[in-house]
Amino acid sequence: MSKSLPQLKIINRLHIFRAEQRMTQEQLAREVGVTRATIVAIEGGGYNPSLELAFRIARYFKRDINAIFSIEEETP
Amino acid sequence: MVRFDATLLKVFLYGLPGVAALALFAYAHGAGFIDRSAAWAGFANASAGFVFALWMVSALYLSVRLILSAPFRDHVIARITFVRERDERETQLTGKATRTTFLMTMALLIFLFCLSCFQVSVYRVPPEKAVDGKRGMVTLGIGFSLLEQDRQVRSDEGVQRQDIFTYRGLPLSSATIILLLILWQVVSYNCTMRRLLK
Repeated sequence: MSKSLPQLKIINRLHIFRAEQRMTQEQLAREVGVTRATIVAIEGGGYNPSLELAFRIARYFKRDINAIFSIEEETP
Repeated sequence: MVRFDATLLKVFLYGLPGVAALALFAYAHGAGFIDRSAAWAGFANASAGFVFALWMVSALYLSVRLILSAPFRDHVIARITFVRERDERETQLTGKATRTTFLMTMALLIFLFCLSCFQVSVYRVPPEKAVDGKRGMVTLGIGFSLLEQDRQVRSDEGVQRQDIFTYRGLPLSSATIILLLILWQVVSYNCTMRRLLK
């Protein structure tokens, strides 16, 4: 029997960092090697990036990965 | 080898409209339309036949290559079916769309298998053949054969009857079914992908 694990939600502050840098989604997408649709999906919470992409984004903004992506426990 | 495959692929693709046009022409006018007694017509007919034979060989070779060579398959089929994997998200969505298409195709195949096996007849028999005064009859059957020429259809020729409804498997040819399945795969994949990309 597997015990039920709490649902985790990944919160990202990508749009804040992007706004600070005055970047468009297209520019960020080009910098980290994905499509603009992927940046839109990440910012909207519709897609959780892979660890590799998350680290690439963090490295681009010269921040710790936890500053951009964090985890929140979802209440049922 | 890669260049050879690419050249053959171009020959196949560029030849395809020509073959389709010839097929339509032959369908519309019949094979006897060309007067082979004229020298130029005989030569043109023989040349077209030779080119058509080469095109057929290239089609067979390419289809075998598609089965055996993974890079060639990825390159060609991905283009034909409009698979786009520009980043990790699209790769993930491709996986989801492929899974959905696989399961939907499997469901469709099961449905087609049922349709091709089931045989149903609804008919009336003459009053003297009635059983307990009932003239309406329903005959149900399942017909499965490994080879097309062995296909058995339940025969009720000895019974005088008035058919109301008869169904004896799919009326489509195997080539039509294969073509429909190919189209189904492409359309199903693209519709699922479009929905996921929203």
